[in-house]
Amino acid sequence: MAHDWQPDFEQLVDEYQSMVFSLAWRMTGDRGLAEEIAQDVFLELDKNLGKLESAAHACFWLRRVAMSRSADALRRRKVRGMDLWVEIDEGHGAKAEERTSPLGNRLEQLLSTLPEPHRAALVLRYQEDLTPEEIAATLASPLATVKSNLQRGLKLLRAKASSHLREYMRVKEQASGL
Amino acid sequence: MDFEPMEDFERDLRQAFERRPAPPGLKRKLMEKRRAKWPQRANRHFHFVLWQRLAASVALVAVLGGAAAWRNAEERHKGEEARRQVLTALRITGHALNQMNAQLAAHDRAAQE
Repeated sequence: MAHDWQPDFEQLVDEYQSMVFSLAWRMTGDRGLAEEIAQDVFLELDKNLGKLESAAHACFWLRRVAMSRSADALRRRKVRGMDLWVEIDEGHGAKAEERTSPLGNRLEQLLSTLPEPHRAALVLRYQEDLTPEEIAATLASPLATVKSNLQRGLKLLRAKASSHLREYMRVKEQASGL
Repeated sequence: MDFEPMEDFERDLRQAFERRPAPPGLKRKLMEKRRAKWPQRANRHFHFVLWQRLAASVALVAVLGGAAAWRNAEERHKGEEARRQVLTALRITGHALNQMNAQLAAHDRAAQE
């Protein structure tokens, strides 16, 4: 079907670089790797610009490829036996203004301990504000699986946060006091 | 000891999981990588245009050659037609002259008698 939308690569980079980078960083926990993934995703986008029909299609495509590339990177790292989640904890490589609040960092650390499917569902739900149906389409997973991953992931994360309640509340108070 | 309600927890998650700004150099590096890929792309584009022009030239030559051959055949056909008409006219003239000669010869014989 013919479409009138004329994609502008630079404009798409400006608009979605933060989204792609954040997805990759939260999925891998490695800032450098997330930057590499983001570059690969956009270069892939450049090759596929002609196939995209609208800005919404481009956004959906970028989310899907970013998640898929991040999962691939995690699998490769797992094979090599490396521990990925070291950098968000330390804020490694991030400038001060780019770092989130202590509360955000704490929750991201806890997120990093969740299994990958739970993490993917939670990141798309709470970073991108997607519905379970949209998450299922993005991850090409059955809706029931996504709903289950969301529920389990949320419960698990909440349980972990509860077990760290004192520290969590202290951090939260600090954050609200800022 | 229970934690805060789930709704509050979800709100905290939304705040904690806001998009992070991309590294300042990401776009620059990306555009450099993209430019580095341009020569290959330009080369492919050049070959595509070259083949396209070559195909267009061959098609044009074929059309012009066909038109010239058709025009040549048409002219030859017209020439043959004209030659046939001339020969027919000559045959008719020859026949008329023969008839006239025969009539004159008959007239001469009648006059001598």
